[in-house]
Amino acid sequence: MRMLLVEDNEDLAETILDRLRAEGHSVDHERDGNEANELLRHFKFDIVLLDVNLPGRSGYEVLRSLRNRSDETPVIILTARSQIDDRVIGLDAGADDYMIKPVDFRELSARCRVLARRRAGAASNIFTAGALVFDRAAKQAKIDGRDAQLRAREIQLLEIMIDNMGRMLTKEDVADRLYSFEEAPSLNAVEQLVTRLRRKLEGTPLVIKTARGLGYIAYLAEDD
Amino acid sequence: MTGSGGHSLQRRLLVTMALGFVILLMLISALLWTYARASANRPHDLLLAGTALSILERISVGPDGATVDLPNSAMEILSLNPVDRVLYRVFVPGGRNLTGAADLPAPSDLAPSAEPVLFEDAYGGAQFRFVIQSRQLSTAEGRQWFAVQIGQTVELRNAEQLSFFATSLVGLAGLSLIGLGFVWVAIRTSLAPLRQVAADLAQREPADLGRVVGTPPREIKGLFDAINGFIERLGRNRALTETFIADVAHQTRTSLSAMQGHLSLAVDADDPAQMRSRLIKADRQATRTVRLTNQLLANAMVIHRSDRSNLEPVALRPLVRDILAEMLRDSRMRHISLSFLDGGIEAGQDMILGDAVSIREALRNLIENAVRHGPPDNTVTISLEATDTELVLKVEDAGPGIAEADLARATQRFTSLSENSMGSGLGLSIVKAVTDGHGADLSLGRSSLGGLGVTLIFKRLLAVLFLVLCPVWSGTPAPADTLVIHSATDTPAMQPLIEAFESRMAEVDVEYVEFQTLDLYRAMLAEADTARPDVVISSAMDLQVDLVNRGLALRTQLSVQTAPPSWAVWRSELFGFTFEPAVVVYDTRAISKEELPVSHRELATFVRDNEERFRGRIGAYDIAQSGIGYLYATQDSLQGPQSLRLFEVLGRADLKTYCCTSEMVEATARGELAFAFNAIGSYAAAQVASEPNLGLHFFDDYNLVMTRTAFIPKEARQAELGARFIEFLLSREGQRIIADKTPLLPLIREGEQQSLIGREIQARLGTFLPIRLTPGLLTYLDELKRNDFMSAWETSLRR
Repeated sequence: MRMLLVEDNEDLAETILDRLRAEGHSVDHERDGNEANELLRHFKFDIVLLDVNLPGRSGYEVLRSLRNRSDETPVIILTARSQIDDRVIGLDAGADDYMIKPVDFRELSARCRVLARRRAGAASNIFTAGALVFDRAAKQAKIDGRDAQLRAREIQLLEIMIDNMGRMLTKEDVADRLYSFEEAPSLNAVEQLVTRLRRKLEGTPLVIKTARGLGYIAYLAEDD
Repeated sequence: MTGSGGHSLQRRLLVTMALGFVILLMLISALLWTYARASANRPHDLLLAGTALSILERISVGPDGATVDLPNSAMEILSLNPVDRVLYRVFVPGGRNLTGAADLPAPSDLAPSAEPVLFEDAYGGAQFRFVIQSRQLSTAEGRQWFAVQIGQTVELRNAEQLSFFATSLVGLAGLSLIGLGFVWVAIRTSLAPLRQVAADLAQREPADLGRVVGTPPREIKGLFDAINGFIERLGRNRALTETFIADVAHQTRTSLSAMQGHLSLAVDADDPAQMRSRLIKADRQATRTVRLTNQLLANAMVIHRSDRSNLEPVALRPLVRDILAEMLRDSRMRHISLSFLDGGIEAGQDMILGDAVSIREALRNLIENAVRHGPPDNTVTISLEATDTELVLKVEDAGPGIAEADLARATQRFTSLSENSMGSGLGLSIVKAVTDGHGADLSLGRSSLGGLGVTLIFKRLLAVLFLVLCPVWSGTPAPADTLVIHSATDTPAMQPLIEAFESRMAEVDVEYVEFQTLDLYRAMLAEADTARPDVVISSAMDLQVDLVNRGLALRTQLSVQTAPPSWAVWRSELFGFTFEPAVVVYDTRAISKEELPVSHRELATFVRDNEERFRGRIGAYDIAQSGIGYLYATQDSLQGPQSLRLFEVLGRADLKTYCCTSEMVEATARGELAFAFNAIGSYAAAQVASEPNLGLHFFDDYNLVMTRTAFIPKEARQAELGARFIEFLLSREGQRIIADKTPLLPLIREGEQQSLIGREIQARLGTFLPIRLTPGLLTYLDELKRNDFMSAWETSLRR
């Protein structure tokens, strides 16, 4: 993947760069908010890792101008501040995720992968995760090359879960996206649908985790 | 010790003492009040009893039965009291009423007694002090009791009682203040040891945690000991903090040096496998250090934010949901089975006063604890329940939990109960700091899942009702005010005054209704009359005094520029505003100025000596018809026995009587009368000015003066406006208009007098005898007295 790291601390930047490059990503590095902004104007990245405290302009400003240009590049905010206000500002400004320093590199990689998957799933028609291949255009899922025999609703649910990978979806969220107004969604039906899909996806790295009272979150088991 | 926040001991003691003094004062006041009443009553009771006695002496039994000749002195005695209204009656106990108000209240068990019986009772809406005194007289039916009852309102007594009471109370209050002063001094002295402690503590270096030394008085020994106890605890706490810092330093340094050690070993290692194992250890150590640092910072932040002023209304359920959803993104949570049970709490039921950041930190620590200390596939259940007043947030897990014995210790800092789970020992102490900061309860126990169960109980924030008060505007434009004046004075005489008043008060109309004096009096007495006037004006002073004495007038505080003389005001209810002397009007063709007698006594002699010359040519008021005439005649009779002689002499000379001054003056002008006696000076003067043959004559001994009076009835609708009108009558402007534009004469003369009669009055000031506005005027309104006087007059005139 092509990534941009905007971080003014050389040591930290170096470790992150080494880590991500070791994982096979191509990573550019910027130290200054203004320069990062300029760069983002002209080049496309798959993921941007953005520090908040930057010389030039702050990470939030860079993010805001990025989103103002309708650029939907996934952004992970890195911050040393742990208070909620920063997070809210970060997410409201259009960040996809945030992490508090010191960052656990394994966690950072995992989050990057999730974001990349989410984006890749949305950007291309073919989503591959281990044995699972999902063709968005053909509305077809294959496991180990064989048709997974998913019904229309299950295909729809799979698509929703892939689009929101790593993100918590409440049962109501799922129902809203799954059913039209006339269909009078029942939350029970959502539950049954998720259970069925989960069973059919057994053996693939795609996991749909249920948190009782909260909702569903999808992730790829191979990330661990 | 006297900070603005807390209460002051000194003030509290003073307040308590002051309260004691106040209670004492109240007790004394109760006694004083009664005593003051008795003192106020005594002189007035004597006057009342004296008056009763003087009337009692004038009861006589004649051939027509019992009668009473009300002595003028009786009412005059009571008039010494310038304020109170007077009632009287003479009656046969258990029998008929001779005279006066028949319906006066009397004690039911009243036995006729020669001793005065004094009591208070309400009559006609006012409180009265009554005296009843009786006397036995021989009548045709044998000896019979006759009683006199006099009543007087108690306004002056009340005022005197109040003044006496207030004076005494001021003295007592002064004494109390001096007492309080002593108390204050005593308190200051007693509190000196406290100030000593304060000074000691104030001067201390922060590091000085030694005991406060001194030998405190017994009463504050407890405080002394408490302070010393607190200092000790503070010392222990500081030692604890020092230990904490030492612990932090120790743990951080140990972590760092272990990491450093692993790293340097790795640097020096030759064998890649050995190096790798060192690095893995260094990495683990780094993770541990990061967590320790994070928690130390979280702990510091939570404590810093625990100030209650940070709290604001927070909905707990969405907050918990958000925290959980966020935590679930963490890849370490993937195998943890996390549930959130919100027990169907409805929106709005989950409000608390809280700090979202701190709560987030607490919940995060609890869940991280469960993840860290429990198995990788731990089950964590977070539940939220609402009771009527509380919100219970529970975090339960299926991990190993904490042993019963260790539960109490678990929330202390750096008591990591497990050595092998990388616990910093700060997690639960952070939660404790958060619950303390929220005034919430924290309890640890065993969860139903087998592990630790942590319960946080927050106080629910109940819905607050806002009462929105809409101001209601009910203002309607005020209609033009109409001032209704009922008056026994010629309209032309009052017209200039009314016009001036109307032009002065925009939006005010004056409705002026003219009456004869007696008609006005009767109209005022007629109860059911709905059209009550706002101002009542009459020249009949005695009738006006009677109306006011009956309690029909409203007390009016006037702010007048000019102070009317005391004889022309009664009770701040009845106000005189003119000065109208009785005068002799003569025909200069019939009688010369030099010839005219200079005194009333000489007038009688003069008429007797010239009886034939003046036969049928002397005019006077018909006192049966004219209130003014009656007033002048009765007041003349009070000046001495010569007045009766004068009536006889005038009667022999065929006195002609008239209804009014104007007719008398006109008759004189036509030459029918040689002179008219006791004409109203003001009207006469106005007429004389246009009649060349007429002259005005005053006596040298005395000249009666009456004043036109005004009062505001109690039922007046425009009482305020009425007061403005009376103020206007008595103002400089009003008095000048009376002098310049009306036939009346002003009560208060200022500057050079323009009119002839004005100059005449100015020249003879000492001879004018104003009729005073007092209850004394009631004497001749007494029915028996009036009948007697009228029959004597008729007899004199040989009718």
